[in-house]
Amino acid sequence: MNMHISPDKCIACTTCVVQCPVAEATTKFLGPRMIGPAYERFRLLGLAEDASLHYCANCKNCDISCPQGVPVSSLNMLARAEQCRHHSPSLRDWILGHGELMARWLRHVPAPLKNFGMLNPLTREVLDALGIDKRATLPAFATQTFRQMFAHIRQPGHKRKVIYYPGCYVDVYDPTTGVDMVWALNRAGYDVIVPNEVVCCGLPLVSNGFWQHAHANAERNLRELAGWRDKGLPLLTGCPSCALMFRTDLLEYFPDLISKYGPCRLEDAQKFLLETMDDALFEATSTAPVVSQHVIYHAPCHLRAQGNGLPGLALLRRIPGVNVDNADAGCCGISGSYGFKKEKYDIAQTIGSRLFAAIRESGAATAVSECGTCRVQIRHGSGLPAKHPVSILRQHLEGLH
Amino acid sequence: MNKIADVLVVGSGMAGLVAALSAAQQGCSVRLLSAGMGSLAICGGTIDLLGYVQGNAIADPWQGMTQLPEEHPYRLLGVDNVRLAMDSLRKTLEDHGWPMHPAIIDGHDGNTRLPTIMGTLKPTWLLPPGVEPQTLATAKNILVVSVEKLRDCRPGLVIDQLKRYKEWADRTYTPALLPSPFGEAHRSISALDLARLADRPQTRNWLLDNLAQFAGNYDLILLPPLCGSRADLALQQQISAIAKCPVVEMLSIPPGVGGLRLRDVLLRAMKECGCTFIENATALHAEVHDGCCTALQVNASGVVERQAAHAFVMATGGILGGGITMTPGTVQETVFGIDIPAPQDVGQWSEQDIFGNHIFSHMGIRVDSAMRPVGHEATPLWQNVFFAGRTVGGYDYAAEKSGLGVAIATGWQAGRMAARAALEMNGKQQ
Ligand SMILES: Cc1cc2nc3c(=O)[nH]c(=O)nc-3n(C[C@H](O)[C@H](O)[C@H](O)COP(=O)(O)OP(=O)(O)OC[C@H]3O[C@@H](n4cnc5c(N)ncnc54)[C@H](O)[C@@H]3O)c2cc1C
Ligand code: SF4
Ligand code: SF4
Ligand code: SF4
Repeated sequence: MNMHISPDKCIACTTCVVQCPVAEATTKFLGPRMIGPAYERFRLLGLAEDASLHYCANCKNCDISCPQGVPVSSLNMLARAEQCRHHSPSLRDWILGHGELMARWLRHVPAPLKNFGMLNPLTREVLDALGIDKRATLPAFATQTFRQMFAHIRQPGHKRKVIYYPGCYVDVYDPTTGVDMVWALNRAGYDVIVPNEVVCCGLPLVSNGFWQHAHANAERNLRELAGWRDKGLPLLTGCPSCALMFRTDLLEYFPDLISKYGPCRLEDAQKFLLETMDDALFEATSTAPVVSQHVIYHAPCHLRAQGNGLPGLALLRRIPGVNVDNADAGCCGISGSYGFKKEKYDIAQTIGSRLFAAIRESGAATAVSECGTCRVQIRHGSGLPAKHPVSILRQHLEGLH
Repeated sequence: MNKIADVLVVGSGMAGLVAALSAAQQGCSVRLLSAGMGSLAICGGTIDLLGYVQGNAIADPWQGMTQLPEEHPYRLLGVDNVRLAMDSLRKTLEDHGWPMHPAIIDGHDGNTRLPTIMGTLKPTWLLPPGVEPQTLATAKNILVVSVEKLRDCRPGLVIDQLKRYKEWADRTYTPALLPSPFGEAHRSISALDLARLADRPQTRNWLLDNLAQFAGNYDLILLPPLCGSRADLALQQQISAIAKCPVVEMLSIPPGVGGLRLRDVLLRAMKECGCTFIENATALHAEVHDGCCTALQVNASGVVERQAAHAFVMATGGILGGGITMTPGTVQETVFGIDIPAPQDVGQWSEQDIFGNHIFSHMGIRVDSAMRPVGHEATPLWQNVFFAGRTVGGYDYAAEKSGLGVAIATGWQAGRMAARAALEMNGKQQ
């Protein structure tokens, strides 16, 4: 493997340092410019890795801000992969990287039991000892996975079809968001196909250093999705991190797979829905009485990195009765499983504090964000309930208050 | 979100932000897209208008403008328009709680020479709130402060250097090094790290307590830009009140912190005007028909998207920003592919003297007074395409000290003219 991206486009301007939320929160981290392009030169010379590499949260704010197009976060992740080939990651990182796999193993155990098993104070002490901070709110397993629920949905039978990639967060912890997405796509005139073969996009595996496992997941996903792509079906996801993984990261991480299957660039489902509204396929009107609601929206960093603006926010603005603020207060701090880790919990809370304050001060009763783990962090940090935009859409158009 | 924006601005440096605001203030729907943050994020917090003409320092930038060559952006715009642009920016800053002002000399506004963290003096025009040229000129007893482990600023060096300037020689200086608030740090700390401590009320006391010990003993405190990273006037006032004297930040190498405060204000203002901001999107090509541009093709994480608009402002930052691509022997604007004349022999692009008159630092798009790029006959290439900031040719911001000034003036004009073009196009379609 031993892949390297050239660091030479970097002109050492420090813009990424200004934007990195981790460098802002702690001086334990070398910061993007140094740990990415600058240190890469040492790596190419075979020098030892810097001890603070693991502090990179892979949030991509460096990539968003760099005027020279240096893929700093990918430099960091590749370096981490290399590091993990020599030193296996900890059990803690295994657990955090393999949420979906664990859920599959435990699929026959009823959710309350699983949740009791994972979330009771005693287990939390054990996990804390392993390095998962007991102060963090861990997401709870849903009673049924999204795919189990999806199997029972009767769709309208539209001729037009889309592929929906739920992502493991929706599948394992948050199936109702997936069901709401299917509802929205049906209403926009599409039947939804959820391929059975697809697994987690592999982002948590990459962030936790399980490169080979991420490669295996990527291969399984690309093999499946490439077939649907070749049939000309739109490939959608509601999860920004999944989308980014398929749109750019996989191309940088696993060029071997890309040359075998071609890229499968998932499209943001919110953008897709918005376009169906523009094309008058989907009317955001309702026979239910308009109920006014004040919500505050948080843009996940991995959405901002996609170069499509904030379609989820635009979607919320189309819903009659919904009054939406854009929090515009930076990163929430969680970055997947980063903020659950004991040595990073406080960093994550510091990073998120500006967002939490903006949410609390807004006076809104509900927060909205596309990313599942951002929502976990928002609930934990601000105390407000947090939902996906399609859930708000459905709630208002169906009058489910 | 309408499918077609009135005005699409590319680039989120000073020129792009000002263009977006200026178009929005004309009642247009504005979409701003950018592939990176632009140099405002790492700039210092003062605004240069014009510091040197042909290598000579000038006190009055407005007077100096009249001596510039005809192709200079300020000359194309005319002094009156440059004034309108600056007034408009100052109003935006003031409305958002960050009033900036120039020095007033004999009833006219003029340049101020501000100390840098290297102890040199740099001419600049608009000063941040709290920086009074009068105090700088008359302070006798000056404390020069830095912080332990802050690599780039050494009070002793600053003092030695400052004493070499006539106007700063005859003063009493005291150096001071504050203890680092960070304890064990894995990297060298920057002024920005310290500024961010001052942002948060929970950690602000480090700075306030440290300055309190000097209260009443000095008439001026010079320090690196560590008094907050946001445009927070109350914080500035609190700091000077605790120190019982003016506290003035020296200009710093990147990250310069002060530019973040300006960016903070401009982004807030843009949001209030309803501008849409699309981050991490790279404009690739332009679709042009019959002397007009209809859309840009944009790379959005690997997918080419079409961004249609009625008018376009390109504020792509020249060679350093990505707006101009150079290969040996050819220089081209990146998105529209406009050829920029340059000597075949790359050796001629620069001079030996680093402060010399380099061809490469003037290189850029030739525009008319409306900021439309022009061809050989000085006729606009497209009716609805405008350029602003560092991509425009005919000036050398580093030698003239005119960087943010030209970005503001050309951004203001390009935004206004794009708005006019968009409203015309809109009218034609209806
Ligand atoms: C380190 C430094 C310090 C400075 N300090 C000062 C100072 O204190 N005072 C002062 O007055 N001047 C200063 N200057 C000069 C001044 O910053 C610049 O002249 C001015 O900011 C240029 O602004 P701009 O908007 O034209 O370009 P930039 O700030 O370079 O912005 C260009 C933007 O366009 C984007 N872009 C480029 N190509 C594309 C594309 N194809 N698609 C999408 N986006 C694209 C870039 O990512 C960027 O956001 C400084 C300059 C530097 C480098
Ligand atoms: S990915 Fe995020 S945490 Fe990592 S270096 Fe970039 S900005 Fe910093
Ligand atoms: S990676 Fe990009 S933003 Fe960071 S220092 Fe290098 S050029 Fe600047
Ligand atoms: S990005 Fe996050 S939610 Fe999406 S599939 Fe990967 S791990 Fe799951």
